[in-house]
Amino acid sequence: MTTVTLQGLGKRYGRTTALDSVDLSIGVGVTGLLGPNGAGKTTLLRCLATALGPDTGTIRVHGLDPAVAAQRTEVRRRIGYLPQNPGLYPNFTAYALLDYVAVLKEITDRRQRRAEVRRVLDEVELTDRARTKVRKLSGGMRQRLGLAQALLGDPELVILDEPTVGLDPEQRMLFRALISRLGERRTVLLSTHQTEDVGALCERVVVMSGGRVVFEGGPRDLAQVAEGQVWLSETPPQGNAAYWRNADGLYRTLGRQPDGAEAARPSIEDGYLLLLGNVAVTEAIR
Amino acid sequence: MTTDWHVDPGLLEQYENGTLVPSRVMAVEAHMLSCADCRGQVPADPAWLDGNWSAVFDEIHAPRVSPIARLLTRAGLPGHRLRLLTATPALRWSWLLATSAVLALAVVAAWLGRDGSHLIGQTFLVLAPILPVTAVSGAYGPPADPMHEITGTTPAAGPALVLWRAVSVIGVAVVMAGIAAVLLPGPGWYAVAWLLPALLLCTGTLALATSLTLPFAAGALGTLWLTAVLIVAGTTGDLFVPSVFGPDAQLAYLLAAAVSVAVLIQRRRRFDLGESR
Repeated sequence: MTTVTLQGLGKRYGRTTALDSVDLSIGVGVTGLLGPNGAGKTTLLRCLATALGPDTGTIRVHGLDPAVAAQRTEVRRRIGYLPQNPGLYPNFTAYALLDYVAVLKEITDRRQRRAEVRRVLDEVELTDRARTKVRKLSGGMRQRLGLAQALLGDPELVILDEPTVGLDPEQRMLFRALISRLGERRTVLLSTHQTEDVGALCERVVVMSGGRVVFEGGPRDLAQVAEGQVWLSETPPQGNAAYWRNADGLYRTLGRQPDGAEAARPSIEDGYLLLLGNVAVTEAIR
Repeated sequence: MTTDWHVDPGLLEQYENGTLVPSRVMAVEAHMLSCADCRGQVPADPAWLDGNWSAVFDEIHAPRVSPIARLLTRAGLPGHRLRLLTATPALRWSWLLATSAVLALAVVAAWLGRDGSHLIGQTFLVLAPILPVTAVSGAYGPPADPMHEITGTTPAAGPALVLWRAVSVIGVAVVMAGIAAVLLPGPGWYAVAWLLPALLLCTGTLALATSLTLPFAAGALGTLWLTAVLIVAGTTGDLFVPSVFGPDAQLAYLLAAAVSVAVLIQRRRRFDLGESR
């Protein structure tokens, strides 16, 4: 079932085009939004979260149009949003912060609100930190608290902007497990730089570049983009090919087959790098 | 953990029935804390336990209620409204700034006015209406509220939230100025003459914010107010206070504020904290 439909979505900041005629349909499950810096991922998520109005095009969330003020409120009732910089009040306890956001989400009955706060604390495994102030939580716990506030009111659409940035491997694993559970019955849209996140979590991946959608499909389809274009060799390739030395001491080359190189199985990252060309390769090597 | 000794079945039955004397209840419970077997003998209602645990959890973790919040609750303000008004740190700072500044200026103006010097008193009259507007504009948006992006995408974001916050800031400023007017010596009317201009600037700012961003609207109207007063002062000299704060002017402020409120109501759907225009 389609939850979100975008048609011809456009947004400019001065002379910079952040979104350029984006058409997209998203349904239940986890969809990953992949792209280099400046690709338009955050702008797209902010438009969907109703934090930003698009210049052109239409957005429909469950058939509702956020451009219409009355329907925008209804859209907000159905979404949970974790921005890149949530700015959670540092002097609030986890419980107090969630209680406050629950009020913003129109859960006005005290008993119901408290039950909801307990539920989301439990869902993100922070019940034992309910009394801890935000400033004393670790980065991973703070991200989970950010996710908890997004889950208040049991939204049908969860929008997460770079939720795994800055997390250590253990916290990232925990976060992935949480998001994976969310995607069982909700529509989850997350932006990320990490191709590992996409491989581990997403049923569907959308690659953006320069404000446009350049790929839509499953993670395997993204890897398939690099089929027959990934090579392993014992010596570095000649010319300007994109390559790097892997953990086995072999040179992994994307593009034309270097002399003496053998074909390798492509990964999601290979597909992503080949799809985006120099921009992504430069970013990945840096 | 279990022990070799266990509670007598008869004693357990009396414990379950609630017929055991308190001293024995305490002894049985002390034993059960360390004996899983005996704990298992006592039937428990999971729903009842869950309910109790939730109540205890909430009691421990719920945010502390301040004396002012308690007072407002007694005055009839619903709990969820109170959370909205007292939660935002920026809003509390705005209150503090607005009330402190208004009170300090009122004190200075009144004491100087008592000695026959009206210059600072007049300055107070001109600047005081801008204070609540500054407080209102500072209570929203990226610089003041770090959580603005989350706040602005919740269903509560919109005219109701902005107006509740605006009313609370203005309300505090007005109450404090009222106290100053009663308590301080000198021309007490100095401390109240700014109220209607302040009301006009606040409602005008909110009405204008249906088309512009709130800080920009506040800045534009504040500048307009200061420019207008300076022009009047330049043409009337010492008579500018009666011209700007006299009965006729006050009536005009009241009418203009009413028009602003009408515009605000008419265009309320365009008032959105979240969506950037």
